[in-house]
Amino acid sequence: MTTRDEIAWLARRAGWGLAPGRLDELVALGTDAVIDLLVEPTNNGIATEDSPWATFEYVDDREQRQTQGLDVLNRWVTHLLDTERAFENSLAWFWHDHFAVSFQVVQHLPTLIEHLDLIRDQGLGDFRELIRAVSTDAAMLVFLDGATSTGSAPNENYGRELLELYTLGIGNYTENDVKAAATALTGWVVRRRLGGEVQFVDRRHDDTQQTFLGVSGVHDVDTVVEATIDHPACPGFIAGKMARHYLGAVDDSLVDDLAGSFASAGLDVATLGRGVLEAGVEGQGTPQVMAPVPWLLQAMNSTGTRLEPRAQVGLMRGMGQVPGSPPNVGGFPGASTWLASSATAARFGAANLIARETPSDSVALAAASDGRWDELADVLLRPSGLSTPTIDALDGLVGSADRPGEAALALALASPDLLIA
Amino acid sequence: MLSRRAFIGAAAGAAATGGGMWALTVRDSVGESLGATASTTTTTSTTTTAAAAGSAVPYGDRVLVVLEMSGGNDAVNTLIPAAGAYHDNRPHLAIAEVDRVVLGGTDYTLHPSLAPIAPFWENASMAAIAGVGMVGQSRSHFKAMDTWWSAVPGTPSRTGWLGRWLDATLEAERNGVNDPLRAIALGGGSPALVGDINMATVVRDPGNFQLRTFPGTDAEALIGAFLATAEPLATVPELAAAQLAIPFTIDAVELLASVSGADDGSEVFRAGPQGGATSAVDLLDTAAGIIDLGIGTRVITVGISAFDTHADQLARHEGLLADVGTGLAGFFDRLESDGNADKVMVVTTSEFGRRVQENGSGGTDHGNGGLQFVFGPEVAGQQVIGDLDLVDLDNGDLVSAIDTRSVYSTALDWLGGPVDEILGGSHEDLGLLTA
Repeated sequence: MTTRDEIAWLARRAGWGLAPGRLDELVALGTDAVIDLLVEPTNNGIATEDSPWATFEYVDDREQRQTQGLDVLNRWVTHLLDTERAFENSLAWFWHDHFAVSFQVVQHLPTLIEHLDLIRDQGLGDFRELIRAVSTDAAMLVFLDGATSTGSAPNENYGRELLELYTLGIGNYTENDVKAAATALTGWVVRRRLGGEVQFVDRRHDDTQQTFLGVSGVHDVDTVVEATIDHPACPGFIAGKMARHYLGAVDDSLVDDLAGSFASAGLDVATLGRGVLEAGVEGQGTPQVMAPVPWLLQAMNSTGTRLEPRAQVGLMRGMGQVPGSPPNVGGFPGASTWLASSATAARFGAANLIARETPSDSVALAAASDGRWDELADVLLRPSGLSTPTIDALDGLVGSADRPGEAALALALASPDLLIA
Repeated sequence: MLSRRAFIGAAAGAAATGGGMWALTVRDSVGESLGATASTTTTTSTTTTAAAAGSAVPYGDRVLVVLEMSGGNDAVNTLIPAAGAYHDNRPHLAIAEVDRVVLGGTDYTLHPSLAPIAPFWENASMAAIAGVGMVGQSRSHFKAMDTWWSAVPGTPSRTGWLGRWLDATLEAERNGVNDPLRAIALGGGSPALVGDINMATVVRDPGNFQLRTFPGTDAEALIGAFLATAEPLATVPELAAAQLAIPFTIDAVELLASVSGADDGSEVFRAGPQGGATSAVDLLDTAAGIIDLGIGTRVITVGISAFDTHADQLARHEGLLADVGTGLAGFFDRLESDGNADKVMVVTTSEFGRRVQENGSGGTDHGNGGLQFVFGPEVAGQQVIGDLDLVDLDNGDLVSAIDTRSVYSTALDWLGGPVDEILGGSHEDLGLLTA
């Protein structure tokens, strides 16, 4: 890959696309420097950013629920389009998919926001601390029923998913481990009347010493998290999941290497992230079908388009991926869903809406209008060009819209080329 | 993972055999299927070991609808056993006996929300299979779902049970030409439909299934150009898969637009009754509309979710089952008035049953011993096959004494075509069909 291809790859996979001109700036810095900026933004002079919802004011009123939900989503999208800390936000998105906390279950915007802030603030740090924080996070306590689990009748939901989905993977624990975790994790409640405050209530907790994952004396959240994170399967499980998220299908040997350095670095996520991105620019990734939200944001970034919040969520819903609403605890689905008829039809409509809303001074629109397909491809972060069928189809579209370039821009965005990152 | 690899594999296979002509072929096969329903003669070569004698409906016109209730439906509060242990285990969750729907001649009653389907019990077109699961039934949603979808317990499988049936009958029913409208997934894709060859059409939200353009653009030219980006297929499998999706989608949208309802797009975090994308009521209504189109659809999956009732089960489950009950009743009503009722069998699935004893959150945790329902005019109705034995438990869970593949086997047998090779050998005949 050329440096330009490498940076474009990073922007597609580990970021939210780039506004026109930004690719040139980053290519001038070089690949290594760009990876440094992505993985260690603060150490490289990029200021920390406020929460997307720092100025959001929650109103507890059914009538305003609609507007408030739209506002929360739109702030999130705006933040992702404007951020200088792309990878931090990309990892927050990865963790959102990983933990899959859904507003459908949480049903309280401030609690969801707190969770999203947590996975952004801690998502590039120590994995042990992340899991510890998530384990008594209000949104998670509601999402997987820890908040209603008691010593006399423990609820196994979080205990099971902590092991199966969040840290170790199936085959690395027993049903008795699930029960032990459920028992030791009891006692945490969420006080909705206090705005979702988390409290530990001793009388709801069963402090019996459990043997959990072969470790004796486990009795509370701290000891559960310790035993879980210290399990030898943990680094490989997380490394594998992150590698597949960013790189697509990967060799087991790469996962082993990544897991090794992740473990040596004390489960520092930035170290793992760096390893993943370096493997990617070395060409160890495979072509990947883009999920709808990254696809949409990259299209908006490249064209300089901003959408009306209601229309924006409509597009995401149509394509089957709404931030804050993973369909189940397994997170967002994968390529076969994004390639299915529903998502394909919705993506075509979304491409048309973005083209319609693209500002007239957009570089992408001008390139589309003039039939400069190589330049259009570059703005759309495909510096090595579009495929022959797409170029032929674009050639056939000249003059198909009242506004010059609009039809070709819509088609380029909807093309198979743009769906593959 | 399973479906992704299979999808890419299917795309690569199509690229190898279909070449640049395949878009045309898809259209032709749709035309053929339209013709097929008029003449009903194209499927006579399909063979089966246990033809449902006396049925007037040719195999090629039969449609299997699989209602997938994901999350693990609580069997015990759906089909309620008349046992003292029920109240003992469910002090907060037990449904009052007076409210339940009586299933005459059995020891069971139905959850009150299922009252709309009681007429099916009365007219003997409904049976329940209780204590059903897969060998080595897992309490993990994902592992259990994988096994229920693949019907290959114990080993990972690329393909699903319905996908393998669709593959196996493709030659006889469509001269080997893939037709994505033979299998339609409503509410979301179903890995059960993944075959080595088969591609299903997925319609997540029927009210929003369209190719949208805007005034001031030439819609026909744009859609034509969109189609043109799809051929010739690229050698990169992922890109080829992205291309392959386009003509299938265009065909499906054109055909199915007529059965889709309206969507006002007004909700932000949109949800059906319990968080699913769309309700069973809407999806089953769309399914009835598709069946009435007569486009040769043989299998429809309807995906609904949120059955994972770890907490607040009483209210949530009531809503979920009301959606199912109302949806099924409306579905058969519409089939009846369209003259299609004889063509359809419905099978419900859910990846596991739940723990017999309630937890402290007013809910139930993952268990074993699932429940399935089967509906249709050829179903040997008014029976509960198997049981929900609340006393003889395995580690607090109901036992899965019946293999789900026995139910699948009945459904595929009714649908026509080979069964044993698809389900890895023969399975117990549960007597689910009238002879």
